[in-house]
Amino acid sequence: MNVRNFSVRRSVIAAVAAVTALTVAACSGGSDAGTDKASGPVTVKVWAWYPSFQPVVDLFNSTHTDIKIEWTNAGAGQDEYTKLQTALKAGKGAPDVVMLEFQELPTYQLTKHLVDMGKYGANDLKGSYVDWAWKQVSNGDKVYAIPVDSGPMAMLYREDLFSKYDLTIPKTWDEYKVQAEKLKAATAGKSFMTDFGANDGGFLTGLSWQAGAKPYTYDTANPAEIGVSVNDAPTKQVMSYWEGMVGSGLADTKAYGTTDFYNGLGSGKYVTYLAAGWGPGYLQSVAKTTAGKWRAAPLPQWTAGANAQGDWGGSSFAVTDQSKNPEAATTVAKEIFGANNAEAWKIGIDQAYLFPTATPVLESDAFLKKKYDFFGGQTVNDVFVPAYKAIAPFSWSPFNSYNFNQITTGLNQAIEKKTSWTAALDTAQANITQYATQQGFKVK
Amino acid sequence: MTEVQIDSAAVAPAAAVPSPRPPLFGRSREAVTGWLFVLPFAVLLVAFLLLPMAYALKLSLYRSTLIEGEHFAWFDNYKQAFQDPLVRQGVGRVLVFGLVQTPVMIGLALLAALLIDHATSRFSRVFRLAAFVPYAVPVVIGTLMWGFLYGQETGPFSLLHIDFLSSSWVLASLGNVVTWQWAGYNMIVLYAALQGLPREVYESARIDGAGPVQLALRIKTPMIGSALILATLFTILGTLQFFTEPLILQPLNPGSITQHYTPNVYAYHQAFSFQQYNYSAAISFLLGAVVFVGSYLFLFATRKRSAL
Repeated sequence: MNVRNFSVRRSVIAAVAAVTALTVAACSGGSDAGTDKASGPVTVKVWAWYPSFQPVVDLFNSTHTDIKIEWTNAGAGQDEYTKLQTALKAGKGAPDVVMLEFQELPTYQLTKHLVDMGKYGANDLKGSYVDWAWKQVSNGDKVYAIPVDSGPMAMLYREDLFSKYDLTIPKTWDEYKVQAEKLKAATAGKSFMTDFGANDGGFLTGLSWQAGAKPYTYDTANPAEIGVSVNDAPTKQVMSYWEGMVGSGLADTKAYGTTDFYNGLGSGKYVTYLAAGWGPGYLQSVAKTTAGKWRAAPLPQWTAGANAQGDWGGSSFAVTDQSKNPEAATTVAKEIFGANNAEAWKIGIDQAYLFPTATPVLESDAFLKKKYDFFGGQTVNDVFVPAYKAIAPFSWSPFNSYNFNQITTGLNQAIEKKTSWTAALDTAQANITQYATQQGFKVK
Repeated sequence: MTEVQIDSAAVAPAAAVPSPRPPLFGRSREAVTGWLFVLPFAVLLVAFLLLPMAYALKLSLYRSTLIEGEHFAWFDNYKQAFQDPLVRQGVGRVLVFGLVQTPVMIGLALLAALLIDHATSRFSRVFRLAAFVPYAVPVVIGTLMWGFLYGQETGPFSLLHIDFLSSSWVLASLGNVVTWQWAGYNMIVLYAALQGLPREVYESARIDGAGPVQLALRIKTPMIGSALILATLFTILGTLQFFTEPLILQPLNPGSITQHYTPNVYAYHQAFSFQQYNYSAAISFLLGAVVFVGSYLFLFATRKRSAL
């Protein structure tokens, strides 16, 4: 190249300058467009990952002239929390109202990112929720979130396979194991009683919760003190039981949410699925081919005749400290899946398969008497609603991601036979204690 | 089209004629023009590499706890990283991985490049394209696909009854994904270098009695030494920063692909799962230093062969 022509060179320089300017402009673009005009409805940004959520948003917007919801699905679970943490750390970019699972609430309460909705009248709702659910989201008169759905546990089972192999519905975990042995003998080990998803912290906690585990003693009113006992006797009892089930080839260990797990549910490889209240809808979508063959029964008990229950999952709407209009945001949190919003809950129950926390919805005929074709016409909520009401209060740590991580990592390594199950819990206890101390907590 | 572009890119550094370096701050119009040409790159470099690095460096010198807030901590995070057995495990794992992975992949790429350089049939063109296709598949998609293929219930290898993601197999399974993804790319780099070689040398070698194997091993391979070194360097850099594949496959077996599987995965989880941004920044900086020193040493050790 021998470009000596001055004008050509000038145009090259101009082009380079133009490209640079464009690049810089592109980088600085995308400024916040959240400012509202003085008139017109207030915009409230909501992050949530409920299925079939758009019609619920549309319903809210069509029934409110002063508030308009702008909904974003920022990912399910940890994906959303990661984005939320980043936005909170950055000081901007967080929504007004955010969907948070119960176990995540103390994390955000501790860092003071949640608005106390008690100031905006949220305490009026207290009577619409059972005690344990309201305690998950509040501390005295301070209300940090409005409960939406929860996950009381039950045993979903294949009725056809139960009668084929002459199994009876187990009332206790001992009976459950007996049936599992019978199944193993009848199928030469091809079928398992269930799949134990050691990758799901919520599932593991739900099972321990039923046995009376109290992994954390934590009061948000006294945030610098915490009691840690993730290896307490009930947890060890539960995990020793499952160590035996897995070790004798009675339960499989495929991670939940994987193709192998879904296939097992559909193929009859697993004859029971220890599920949460949202489980029936979930099962229906992942094991379509088995429609009509499933039934629901209460979770087996540790003590015969007892009615101890645990929760797996469940979520709420909280208002973040970045909200410019916390009052409007509180209205959204309270009303979008409101305790008396039967129309929204119709969508929530029939399309999203949520298990409602609000008593008026729980006790409505639309929910209690709903027949599920997938369960051969059974009214499965007969099983789940009493379970929900029998759940004992439970407290989480303000570092639940770390907690779940330690428990699941430990148990997964135990499954890989790198350690025993109870030793894995002891390791988790030591790691979590060390972490909490490093974080400045006084560990009791 | 793609190959042509890579052609020039790969061969250029090796073939460039060294020229006397112009004065950096010359008064001439050429210098100004030069700087204007560099400007777009410089702006992006500063905005997306240097500034974030400076911010990460600052983060790594602080320590923030849930209860006591943030305070300046000098090199406490680095001290912790040096003493953290999980960091050491991760570094050890990527080193083992790199020691096996690099020769296997470069060997395969070289073999394939020599073969298609030798054969000029239509088949070689099809093969060249087929080997390159995995590189065109985004890493996340490719890894997800392998996740399905490794499945024990439905995967095509399910008849083998091997749990490819169990602790004893997982490193090899990950190595397979990486090789699948990158061998074709490295093959193209090496093939491009082969195409740039003067044909007269082959002819004289043949006249001297060299067969195709001797030609490949004694003439072609040494002559593309600098491209080989470049490909090896990129592979080493890639294995040290091993991240996407283990992160994507983690949910399939969190017991064998732990959250501290590689230093990068560990740093990611420290920051985005546990909000330990400061510690994460320190691990990342340490890793960056190791990568920098490692690649410098490699280039220094091979300086006679490479023109880099």
